[in-house]
Amino acid sequence: MAVTAITQPQANIMRGADLLVSYLKQEGVDTVFGYPGGAIMPVYDALYDAGLKHVLCRHEQGAAFAAVGYARASNRVGVCIATSGPGATNLITGLADAYMDSVPIVAITGQVTSAVIGTDAFQEIDVLGLSLACTKHSFMVTDKDDLANVLKQAFTIAKSGRPGPVLVDIPKDIQLAEVEAIIETSHYDPIPAVEHTDLKAAIALLEQAKQPIVYVGGGVGMAQAVDQLQKFIEVTGIPSVTTLKGIGAIPTTSPYALGMLGMHGNRAANLSVHDCDLLVVIGARFDDRVTGHLATFAQGAKVLHLDIDPAEIDKIRDCDVSICGNLVTLLPELAVPLEIKEWQQKCWDLKQEFGTSYNAPYVSIYAPQLLRQLSDKLPHNAVVTCDVGQHQMWVAQHMRFTRPENHLSSAGLGTMGFGLPAGIGARHARPNDPVVVVSGDGSFMMNVQELGTIKREQLNVKIVLIDNQRLGMVRQWQQLFFEERYSETILTDNPDFVAIAKAFDIEARCITQQSEVLSALDEMLKSDGAYLLHVRIHEADNVWPLVPPGASNADMMESV
Amino acid sequence: MSLQQSSLKVSVNNSPELLERVLRVARHRGFKVELLSWNSESSTLEMTVSSERKISLLSKQLEKLIDVTQVVNLTEITQEQRA
Ligand SMILES: Cc1ncc(C[n+]2csc(CCOP(=O)(O)OP(=O)(O)O)c2C)c(N)n1
Repeated sequence: MAVTAITQPQANIMRGADLLVSYLKQEGVDTVFGYPGGAIMPVYDALYDAGLKHVLCRHEQGAAFAAVGYARASNRVGVCIATSGPGATNLITGLADAYMDSVPIVAITGQVTSAVIGTDAFQEIDVLGLSLACTKHSFMVTDKDDLANVLKQAFTIAKSGRPGPVLVDIPKDIQLAEVEAIIETSHYDPIPAVEHTDLKAAIALLEQAKQPIVYVGGGVGMAQAVDQLQKFIEVTGIPSVTTLKGIGAIPTTSPYALGMLGMHGNRAANLSVHDCDLLVVIGARFDDRVTGHLATFAQGAKVLHLDIDPAEIDKIRDCDVSICGNLVTLLPELAVPLEIKEWQQKCWDLKQEFGTSYNAPYVSIYAPQLLRQLSDKLPHNAVVTCDVGQHQMWVAQHMRFTRPENHLSSAGLGTMGFGLPAGIGARHARPNDPVVVVSGDGSFMMNVQELGTIKREQLNVKIVLIDNQRLGMVRQWQQLFFEERYSETILTDNPDFVAIAKAFDIEARCITQQSEVLSALDEMLKSDGAYLLHVRIHEADNVWPLVPPGASNADMMESV
Repeated sequence: MSLQQSSLKVSVNNSPELLERVLRVARHRGFKVELLSWNSESSTLEMTVSSERKISLLSKQLEKLIDVTQVVNLTEITQEQRA
């Protein structure tokens, strides 16, 4: 082709891949997490010198969890990128986790070229089909001129209303196609205003109640309504309980904060919910781990349900009054002083009666106490992520949090392998705040490859590995409900965790005695970079209390 | 609760995967599709479903789908007309 003498520079024409990267920058995304491959190569080419930070995780599941950690620690949209086929399928668990916990992330996947979609081409998988059950919404871009608009919609949907993951699948030819760079960034879709009559009915319920309880869920943090909730609780004086995701929304210093309810909740929380006459449900959804036997959960109580998602109203438990709206504006309207002194006193007494104690059952290190000591040493801005199992419940029970963004726990999906990559994401979202990952010897191995990401990025992430040489939570259930038949839960063949850390240039130490705990925690917290503290504990330590499956929350077990 | 039949009219913004989305939600939430008619020109879907669960559970979940613009319970309308 002859070169024309005069070429008009067409600044507004760029490849689809460049448009994507420009879009992300204009959207305010400062870091993305991903892993390259054939069908996403144009995007990686665009990332090469675009000035957008890309973190190479060592598995796409790690990239997805890092995006989740980033989003949860900062209330911004997290972004992860993967190639087609195996790259995309590796993202699925992360998307499902984000879906269950309502976390706003946008996942970008490469797809094979449009012309060969549907021919079982190399690394072709129907990602749109796979996404249906684990995303809030998903797109496959079929027209290059739609790309900019799809991206805008993806971000808008991810963060509007009840947040959630959105997937955008982009065929390779569209990444390469010349498109016009007209970029309009996302917005927050407003929620319809609340009817005044609903507010009146809600206030009437509050004023009639003699024994109300506030049951706080993850929705409060996601709505960024923590301040409004605290004011509401201060003005009304209603005693409160929280879900796993609600932890941090109410300061533990609040006089009538009774802590976590549910299967491993504390007795004061469960008993006061059992006895209440009005349950004020705020951004929560009656999860079965919270309610125990549903028919006996707050059996005599009326229910006032506040949530942004109409589909949560009457889903599990019929309510007397519901309001769907933005908690930031809603809660101040409902903050009326109540006369409930006797009930407050009763809740206070329960709280004193069932306060935590740290009587170690064995001479070995007692993880609940260690976590409490760690918590006492951490500043208020520290982010703690954890994995799934006994150690996760101990973090929830024994560490103290002043914001929900500081406690990142895979709640709805309960995904082992969450902690380490979520910590990596959190560290990028909040580079000035300390990040501690609390993991178990089972969970840690599920995304252990992310130590490579820590090494590559020289990340200051502290890891406390609670090692009972067991898949502890499953072992506990086998002990209690399966006649001590310890099927495939014994991990006495664990690798040398200190050696693993050192192989990634991460400082590490193993402790086995109670006398070592305080100095080891100090050493870890004072170290300059990443650090792994391997903590050996007794294999028979259990999480108490526990509501056995199918039982009422009032019937908690305290020992074997 | 016994098995109940209900009919819904679902208005949508059409997309190639729209039917999959709607049918997946119906199945997953515990509703058996007895009858289905899809008009791609008017972008409406009429479905009769049966379940032991109350129909509002399904209609609310369908309303959450981004491509669904409206869900009308036709059973309620005919009952009102009869009354
Ligand atoms: C991906 C995944 N697989 C399996 C499970 C089931 N599961 C829940 S807790 C648990 C044991 C976790 O062991 P560990 O990480 O060592 O923690 P511990 O309970 O010992 O503190 C298992 C296998 C899960 N939650 N997630």
